[in-house]
Formats: sequence, C-alpha cells, structure tokens
Amino acid sequence: MKWKKLGKIFDPTKYQLANNCLEFAQAPQALVFGDYVRIYFSTREKDKTGKYLSHISFIEMDKDFKTIINISANTVIELGSLGCFDEHGIFPLNIMRDGERILGYIGGWSRRVSVSVETSIGLAISDDDGVTFKRVGNGPVLTSSLNEPFLVGDPFVTKYISTYHMWYIYGVKWIDEPTKARKERVYKIGHAVSDDGISWQKTSRQLISDKLSPKECQALPTVIKFNNKYHMYFCYRQATDFRKNKENAYRIGYAVSEDLSSWNRDDDHAGIAVSEGEWDSDMLCYPHAFQCEEKIYMLYNGNEFGRLGFGLAVLE
Amino acid sequence: MFRWKKLGKIFTPQDIQTRWWVKEFAQAPCTLLFENFVRVYFSCRPLPDKNRQYVSYTSFVDLNRKDLFEIVNIGKSPILNLGEAGTFDEFGIYPTSVIRNGEEVWAYYGGWTRCESVPFNVAIGLAISRDNGVTFRKLGNGPILSYSVNEPFIISGPKIRIFNNLWHLWYIAGKKWVVADERLEPVYKIRMATSSDGIHWMKFDKDIIENKVEEDEAQASPDVFFFEGKYHMFFCYRYSTNYRGKEKGYRIGYAYSSDLSHWVRDDSRAGIDISQEGWDSEMICYPHVFELDNSIYMFYLGNQVGRFGFGLAKLEDYRSL
Repeated sequence: MKWKKLGKIFDPTKYQLANNCLEFAQAPQALVFGDYVRIYFSTREKDKTGKYLSHISFIEMDKDFKTIINISANTVIELGSLGCFDEHGIFPLNIMRDGERILGYIGGWSRRVSVSVETSIGLAISDDDGVTFKRVGNGPVLTSSLNEPFLVGDPFVTKYISTYHMWYIYGVKWIDEPTKARKERVYKIGHAVSDDGISWQKTSRQLISDKLSPKECQALPTVIKFNNKYHMYFCYRQATDFRKNKENAYRIGYAVSEDLSSWNRDDDHAGIAVSEGEWDSDMLCYPHAFQCEEKIYMLYNGNEFGRLGFGLAVLE
Repeated sequence: MFRWKKLGKIFTPQDIQTRWWVKEFAQAPCTLLFENFVRVYFSCRPLPDKNRQYVSYTSFVDLNRKDLFEIVNIGKSPILNLGEAGTFDEFGIYPTSVIRNGEEVWAYYGGWTRCESVPFNVAIGLAISRDNGVTFRKLGNGPILSYSVNEPFIISGPKIRIFNNLWHLWYIAGKKWVVADERLEPVYKIRMATSSDGIHWMKFDKDIIENKVEEDEAQASPDVFFFEGKYHMFFCYRYSTNYRGKEKGYRIGYAYSSDLSHWVRDDSRAGIDISQEGWDSEMICYPHVFELDNSIYMFYLGNQVGRFGFGLAKLEDYRSL
C-alpha cells in the first residue's frame, strides 16, 4: 500500500478558535456530508495554572480538501464536571454516524497527583448533525478494569453488521525512574464489542504485537474495511525521550485482519513515512482513515504532536 | 424495631505501639469468624506526611471469641501493599469487606488515588487470601468495580455477601462534589451489584436507599444481614457539608427488604444513636452487624469517623413490625 501525501491542510494558529484555543489541532476525525467533509480535532487552551485543557473544535472543507468553508465558532462539547473523567480535556472525540444520530466517543482526561493524568472513554450524542454533543451520563462507558488498570483512552468505534466495535488503548505501566522528573506511560491497543454502543465487553488482551520492545507505546487505532480486509493504522513510539528525539518519536504502524479478531502487524506495508524538511519530518501520529467519494484518505498529525495542525494523504 | 445495648469501645489504635501502620484511625470494622477468635479487619493510618496527607492500610486484630474485649493477636503487617504508580489504590486501601469462598478468603476493598481538582477518587478492588486471611494477593493491578455512565466517581464502601448462591455487593457511588467554605465534599449514595462468580458484576444502576436529611445526603457502609425472615441493612448517613461535628455528622440508618433489591428505609427502627458523652457522642457510623454464638452484634465507629477506634453493641431486643 502507498499513501500519497497531500500536505498540511489546517494550521490552528492561523484561525480564531472557540474556548480561547490557540495551538494544536490533534487527532483529526472526519465526518462526511453530501458536499463537504467536517473534520473534528482537539485543540488547547491554557488554564490559569498554565496547564492545558483540550477542547473539541471542527472545520468544514470542500471535498477537494483545498478550501476551508467553515470553522466552528462555538463549543462543540463542554468539558466534564468537577471530579469527572473528562474534566481536563477531550482528546480525541471519535465520531460515528449511527442512523439519525451521531455518536461522539470521548477520550476524557483528568489530572492526577502522583502521575500526570488518568483517562477513560465516554459517550456523547448529537441530535443536530454533529454541531453539538450531549453526554449520556457524567461517567465513562469504558474505564479501568482488573488487567487494564489505567489510561483507557483513544476510542475508535465503528459498526460491522449489528455489532459495535471499539478499538482503544489501555495503560500497562507508569515508568517511574528516580532520575526523571516525570513518569512516562506505556499503553497498548485493545478491543471491545457492544450491542448498543453503551455497554461494552472487553476482549481483554493486547491486540497488536510489540515491534520496538515491551515498553513500546501504541496509540490511536483507526480501522477501515476495503478489499475484504480490515486495515488498522495506529501510531507507536518509544516510551521515553520521544518528544524531541526524532528516533524515538511516533511513527505510523499498520495491521491487517480478516476476522476482526486476529491481527497481523505489518508496519512495512503502512505506506507512509516521515518526510525530510517537511512539517511531518520528525513525527507521524494520530491517523484517521476514512472514505470519501470512492477514495480512501488518512488524516494525521506531524511534528510536535500536531501543535501546528494536521495533514492529509490519499491511498494510491 | 431493634434495640442495641452499647458494650463500649473495643479497640483504640493509639494504644498500639508496635505497628507503624496503626497510628490513628481504625475504620470500617469487618469480621471473619474462627473457632476460637473473631478476626476484625479495619483500616488504619500511619502518621500523615509532611503535607499532612494520609494513606490508609487495612489490618486486623483477633478477639477472643468468648470475650470480645480481649485482643489475642494483632496483624503483623498490613494485609495488602498500596498500588503501583498510577493505579487506583496507590494511596489507600479503605474500607475492606471479606468473605469466605471455599478455602480462600476474598477481600473487596476501596482503593484510593489522589486527583488534582478534587482530593481523591476511589474504585473497588479484589484480593484473595489462601492463608485464612492473614495475607492477601490482588487479583490484578486494576479494579473489579469501577466508574460507569451514571456512577462517575467514588466507587467505594464495598460490603460483600452471598445470598441464595448469588454474590451481592453493596457499595456507594459518588454523585457530585459540593463546595462549602472552600472545601470540596463528596456526595455519595448506596448502590448494589450482583455476580455469579464474585468477579464479573452487573450493576443495578440506581440508588436503592431514599434520602432523609437532604437531597445531597451522603450515605455509606451498607451492611446487610439476614435475620428473622428479612434482609436488614444498617448504614450511615450525613449532611453534605459541615458534617465533621455533632449536628450534621454521621448517624446510623436502617432499611429492610424481602427481596434484596427493594429497600424500605425506616431509621426509627435502627435502635442505636449517639451517646450523651464519650467516644461516640458526636457521630456514629460504619456499622457492621454479625451473628456470633446466637447473639447479634454491631461494630461501629464513633467521633471523627473512627480516629480513636471502634466499639461494640449487642442486640437486646428485636420486634418485627
């Protein structure tokens, strides 16, 4: 497989965004309409303590992905209430059309004391074609369990026949090195199924084998079906020194399945890599694959985890 | 109508000099019966750290079965270590409820983590003992009962029972945090779940005990036992704010049920209240009721939610209405 890069299509620093957000357009997620495509993303506000809050915003583009025809001026979804799993950020909001309604699966962030964050997955529903979303409840639909003790996040939901499938990540370890100021996390890709999109049954195993080491971090899976196979794109990196060191930073990985159960990791066929001298020269992350007008596209972030926006590639 | 006779305080953590984890507090007593002694698990705390923050451990004392005022043994270590970095039980194991399951003893416990915007969060873990409840091993690093759509935080206060071959877990779930005098106070309600194996749980997903003092009443320690053809629940409740003193502090409430799922609250039948003076004169809370040698007893906490230990009452009279 080979992806043709179409370049960076959105830079958040060039536009006025809601909720005092200035930078970052992360984890782009497409929702295709009749004659345009809406792309949701997570952008950031700095709170009064100087820490970030991630908010959801969106742009709408022509189907040639050359012109931005609209930018959300208002809040798409409020952050969670005091003490709730999504109080300090939503990243990502995974969007799925489900009949008349649009489901938004919340990757919710809340701050901790001994470690920086904890995450869980919530559900919000839109009855106005995805302009605004309301939660089904203040708590999560998927969270920590016996063998997935923390950091359940990065939801991607789709429906095959009558079953909802969720791919997500779960934490396995916080690496606590006395010489390092902060603890770094290790997470893996998991899978759950549901009959109603609310009540989920975890498969409870690591779905995608490690390539780098047992401490490899795997994130933001996206799955798309074509040519009678299920194709998963995700990103992966080393557990430490991954922010500034290009060698340890995120790259896009790939796995393929014929039955949604067993996945064969095959990064050599991911078909997309960093580009020297470009906006995505050091890092590739947070892929989102979708179909539009018979073509398969991938939205993704580049350097600095998407601080300066996201780009697009098309499957050749 | 129950009528309880208070027998006095059984255990005072400040009396213990040789256990670093038993300095203050002996909370949420829970019993496990042996031939010659009654093991009472409780949650206790070492002295606070330099930021005045506490961690909780669960430990036990063994009481002479023939004379519950005689301590015959004290646990030689906490029954569980605190969790690893980032896990739900990194900062506390409190409270704990135990049950025999064949040769094993299973312990359900509230695991505490610390948060930035609110002081803490809690989820319920499970640990198993194969040495009669002296040491336990966690089943996993994560909880067996955690947050859900309508139970967004503070899943705590487990009380484990098996009735009619079905596992029942009564617990509390947080509803909201209220702000009063620049303090954040959690509101929580009594909930329940059932399971066929003690590991996979089906939540009822509703509050099962109606409020009495106010909508934001906090309810805790839902302790259920079967007696004289009915299920009885003793629990405790308090106001949402300014509850650390006498006026709005914890009291013991009561509800009964014939089917384990529908509960009728009638605190007037609880038959136990604060004392005029002494260790339980301001509040009374965290009841645990158990049957021993044809008598019914209740362990409970007094002032400052058990900072100075737990006491015992004995059922003197019961009249079914």
